[in-house]
Amino acid sequence: MEAVFSSKYYTFFQSDKERCFYIDFGQKVVRLSFCQLLALRQKVSNIRIEDHFDAELNTHGFEILALCNKEHLFVLNTLEIIDLKELLVGAFSMFEVSLSALV
Amino acid sequence: MKDIARQSLSIKVECMDLLNNQIKKEAHASATYLAMASWCDQNGFFTGAKFFYKQAEEEREHMMKIFQFVIDAGGNALSPEISGIPHEYSSIVDIFENALDHEISVTKSIHNIVMKARELGDLATEKFLDWFVLEQVEEENTIRDILDMIELTGIEGVGLQIIDGKINDWID
Ligand SMILES: [Fe+2]
Ligand SMILES: [Fe+2]
Repeated sequence: MEAVFSSKYYTFFQSDKERCFYIDFGQKVVRLSFCQLLALRQKVSNIRIEDHFDAELNTHGFEILALCNKEHLFVLNTLEIIDLKELLVGAFSMFEVSLSALV
Repeated sequence: MKDIARQSLSIKVECMDLLNNQIKKEAHASATYLAMASWCDQNGFFTGAKFFYKQAEEEREHMMKIFQFVIDAGGNALSPEISGIPHEYSSIVDIFENALDHEISVTKSIHNIVMKARELGDLATEKFLDWFVLEQVEEENTIRDILDMIELTGIEGVGLQIIDGKINDWID
């Protein structure tokens, strides 16, 4: 397993042997297939962080995130969501870098 | 490190996002044409209604075509959420002018994906969209022709009935 990218709170790993990815969320390590990773990326990028600063749109400033077909459930605060967004953007840009390195 | 991401997905992830957005646009177009069909039916333009029912179906086919491509490429195709479909139009001319504007915005959005695919070197997405680029030329042309026909016929007297009948020429 190889670390691909780290943000402040989380680390993103790739396992060549298992052909999958891992995200270390601190309290839990989650295994993701590529499809599940795409789904997570979609979910996280759909979260409007602006809503967290609006008392009516997001009263408590938390997001409930169900991962991998509801296998995992996370409750993340504003800073953690921002960090997770960064982690995924970082991981996906690393894919691009490694791809262009292969060409 | 293996490139598992590339092995799993044949297109660029940014293109996948744009294609998902296009799926939404085609679904929106389909729903808009359905609303136009409803308006035509309620206002006595029965051939016009038939025309828009058919357009609505075609837009859904476009949507499915993109949906399938995203799936085939190993991507995450998203079932679209659509809202904000207008149902109010002031006249048959208003309907077709709106339809033309809608087609033009779809054309722009497709061109935008082609340009992005080209920039990223995503040849699969670029080639896939060739069909859509040409289809949009036809779609815009159809609606422009109908607007010309409406202008030539005029809406005075029995003009509106003649217009409705003539729309049949664009239903194949
Ligand atoms: Fe279309
Ligand atoms: Fe169209």
